[in-house]
Amino acid sequence: MNSRERFLAVLAGEIPDRVPIVPVVDGYFAPKVIGRANDECYLDGACLADALAASMTEFGYDGAIAEMGLGPEPSVLGCPVEIEGNDVPLVVETIVGGRDDLENLIIPDPWSGGKMEPVERLVAAVGADQAVLGSVRSPFEYAATVRGLVEFMTDFYRDPGFVHDLIDAVRPATVKLAEALADAGVDAVVLKDSFASTSMISPDHYREFAFPSECDAIAEIAGRIPVILHICRNSMPILADMARTGAAVLEIDSPVDLAAAKAAVGSAVILKGNIDAVTVMEKGGAADVEAAVEAAMGAAKAGGGFILSTGDSIPRPAPEANLAALVEFGERYGNY
Amino acid sequence: MKGTLEKFELAIIDGNADGSADLADVIVAEGRATPAEIFAHLSSAMEEVGAKYETGEYFIPEMLRSAEAVEKAMSVLETYLFERKDGQAGIVVMGTVKGDIHNIGKNIIVSALRAAGYEVHDLGVNVSAKKFVDKVKETGADLLLLSAFTTSTKPALLEIIALLKTEGLRDRVKVLSGGASHSQAFADEVGVDGFAADVKSTLEVCRRLMGES
Repeated sequence: MNSRERFLAVLAGEIPDRVPIVPVVDGYFAPKVIGRANDECYLDGACLADALAASMTEFGYDGAIAEMGLGPEPSVLGCPVEIEGNDVPLVVETIVGGRDDLENLIIPDPWSGGKMEPVERLVAAVGADQAVLGSVRSPFEYAATVRGLVEFMTDFYRDPGFVHDLIDAVRPATVKLAEALADAGVDAVVLKDSFASTSMISPDHYREFAFPSECDAIAEIAGRIPVILHICRNSMPILADMARTGAAVLEIDSPVDLAAAKAAVGSAVILKGNIDAVTVMEKGGAADVEAAVEAAMGAAKAGGGFILSTGDSIPRPAPEANLAALVEFGERYGNY
Repeated sequence: MKGTLEKFELAIIDGNADGSADLADVIVAEGRATPAEIFAHLSSAMEEVGAKYETGEYFIPEMLRSAEAVEKAMSVLETYLFERKDGQAGIVVMGTVKGDIHNIGKNIIVSALRAAGYEVHDLGVNVSAKKFVDKVKETGADLLLLSAFTTSTKPALLEIIALLKTEGLRDRVKVLSGGASHSQAFADEVGVDGFAADVKSTLEVCRRLMGES
């Protein structure tokens, strides 16, 4: 069974030869593997694709995360983006000051400005034997980005109707991008909804604002490509809701008790997670990685429906040896 | 029966912005409360909001709702508090350091400092070392307040201190770092003159540092 077959078998509800290993290696960590700065790679699509491919070749995990480049005019739905050195891209200006700005929102063509080039290049480089995942922001996350997180979350009480309208207005950006990623040949798409975490908003607000928009977006996407729903930090109080969104896989972060999550969702969805990207991968050593991987396998491997991953993006300062250890111990403890 | 200041504190905890502004009007009309009493209730309210966040009763939107209640109240109280000052308390440059976009705590501190008589230049969030240093140079600031929510911002703080030294400004401006995760050990590591984790201690440390300058 090759890497891609292993990943697709899990998506199909089958038990593979071993648990697939698909850590969140993106543009935050991968450029280090080829000795390049993060800003160089985000601004040069070929560099970004080559870094992501090189990392997968170097460490031998089963699936890569394809990231879009920033293109010649870095922006998110018209919000200017800056990146410097080994940071990650950061939105520096918001564009929705109020309801009047909704009609001026422009949903960009994902294929414009060369932003999809790294995805196509990575898919071509990886070939048919390994899986490639794409990633898109959720409507809730896009809305927070164009409005500004503080104003957006203040609106929850100030003007909840506006929050719903804003989320509806940006949903086509999520859907169009997911469709473009499917056209580019990725095997699944990660729907990132980081701000929907119950480390940030209450379960009630999740159900009022984020959950319906996840369901709507996934209903439009899932016919084309399987969806992996990612929510950072704690998502335990909303896990049962997440399992009803239509996502094939839930990518859960380290604060969630993996065994409890498995018990909560049963075989309804696949779980992907949840090695701590900071405490274990960045700050820990090989022994910490081994202990975390063994515990994760013990909690979620049985009966299938599990993909070993980090809970979030591996930070650039993480030692490369820890990623090698993740794969080594994932292979050792992941066999069926 | 609760007094005006107790009701004011509750309005902030409940995130009732209209209520906190109305009660601020009452505080001004009554004219009895001292700035120290007002700040004590303000700090107590924000501590309670923080406690509710820690226990999972409040989340970010609820904290923001309370922050908005503080801002609305402070817009009413600023004049009342300023009238009790004998001129400018000092010039402050403040912002959230690069890589960090948290602005709730910073905004509250900015309001409190202005109310306490400081001239505050708020640079916003995700501010580069160069912007901080340029503003210190331009304004001749007495105090530079660096808001940093987590200790992962240490490289950004170190960069600012290094640039102040390069520009020959380090001895001319007192530097204070602030954030919920800050400690004396962290302040010592990054080389700032003081640290604070809340509104009350920020005002105290600012007063102390101004006395030393």
